[in-house]
Amino acid sequence: MTQSQRITLYILVLIAGAAWIFLNAAPTDTPTVNTAAPQAGFTAPDFSLKTPQGETYTLSELKGNAVLVNLWATWCPPCRAEMPAIQKMYNEYKDQGFVVLAVNSTIQDSALEIPIFTSEYSLTFPILLDEVGEVSRMYQVRSLPSSYFINRLGIITEVVIGGPMSEALLRARIEEALK
Amino acid sequence: MLTLFRNLFSPPRHMILLVAAAWIGLTLAEKRAERHGISKDELNNITFYGLLAFVIGGRISFVLQNISIFLKSPSGIISINPDIFDPIGAAAVAFIVALIYGQRRNLSLWHTLDALTPFFSILTIGIGLSHLAAGTAFGKETSLPWGIDLWNAARHPTQIYETLASLLIFGLLWFQKQSPRPGILFLTFSALTAASHLFIEAFRGDSVFIFDSLNRNQIIAWVILATSFLALELRFKKTKNTG
Repeated sequence: MTQSQRITLYILVLIAGAAWIFLNAAPTDTPTVNTAAPQAGFTAPDFSLKTPQGETYTLSELKGNAVLVNLWATWCPPCRAEMPAIQKMYNEYKDQGFVVLAVNSTIQDSALEIPIFTSEYSLTFPILLDEVGEVSRMYQVRSLPSSYFINRLGIITEVVIGGPMSEALLRARIEEALK
Repeated sequence: MLTLFRNLFSPPRHMILLVAAAWIGLTLAEKRAERHGISKDELNNITFYGLLAFVIGGRISFVLQNISIFLKSPSGIISINPDIFDPIGAAAVAFIVALIYGQRRNLSLWHTLDALTPFFSILTIGIGLSHLAAGTAFGKETSLPWGIDLWNAARHPTQIYETLASLLIFGLLWFQKQSPRPGILFLTFSALTAASHLFIEAFRGDSVFIFDSLNRNQIIAWVILATSFLALELRFKKTKNTG
């Protein structure tokens, strides 16, 4: 290929590329925020679950707060390891509108172990019981712990699969969700 | 099949695909290194330092961007969370470290980049597969028959488009006749990869738009494409004058 042929090819490709960019300009498709899915950028799938004391929490009713939905089980070592950091961050940020919903995967755990666990770690945020695995299915959970950081508009800002999360990581994700 | 693949490599196991791609890529790059005037040892060393700098640089870049947070929780700097990572900062640090190593060892930049092209090429295949496993870099909703069910909608399988484009680029470059001009192989890879991203990005459902309506990644891909063309032409000119 001669030099002039190459340069002509480059120019044609660059013009076609620029035209393709302008042809696809403006996000015309339905934004992901209108779809509920367990992935960053989407609306967090809504659920209602009860605490062991019988109090009901509905995720959508917490709009206006930054929410951490943390799926866990008492037998899961990284879940246990990250609980003190979650409690510490909850104490620090709850006045700014940060809420923790610690969803116990009760379908694969023993409900009897939960009170022992919460008193062992002095947990003060709500512990919810996912007795039929509805939230695990809705959030397509494949590993425990799985954490979903949700902003004040109800949009998932970050998903952290596995753990334990460090204080610094929690702080970074919470501050982003609180913006 | 897709469900099985996604279950098998669901996060955080999707990282295995990246590690496997890096290993296969390096093995293939080693096989051809001497064709480009680089010894296997030099190639291994530059990749080792580059990867080490990638890991450390990604962590440092994340920490620097969130310095106020890490001043409150300094132990987080050395925590095992892979999420404390900035991939762009990581790539920049890896490039700088590899460049410094290459200069100290008197390695030619273009010969080294050509020798590393199979590594980069296989890595892009691994990135596409890891996107597929994690469900990230997902496509727009579609009614086309090959749409995949992901995040509660039928979507363009952009991760598969990305993987197939990378496979095609690898095939083209691996089986093409070796160019006597150093740098041409790498710059061709760079131009083809940028062009494929420029095209595929239009089908992504998670794009970021700048200047109100323009797709940020498409603009970056276009700039890389233009730079690759310019560098290709300069390489052709230089090797013609010297050779």
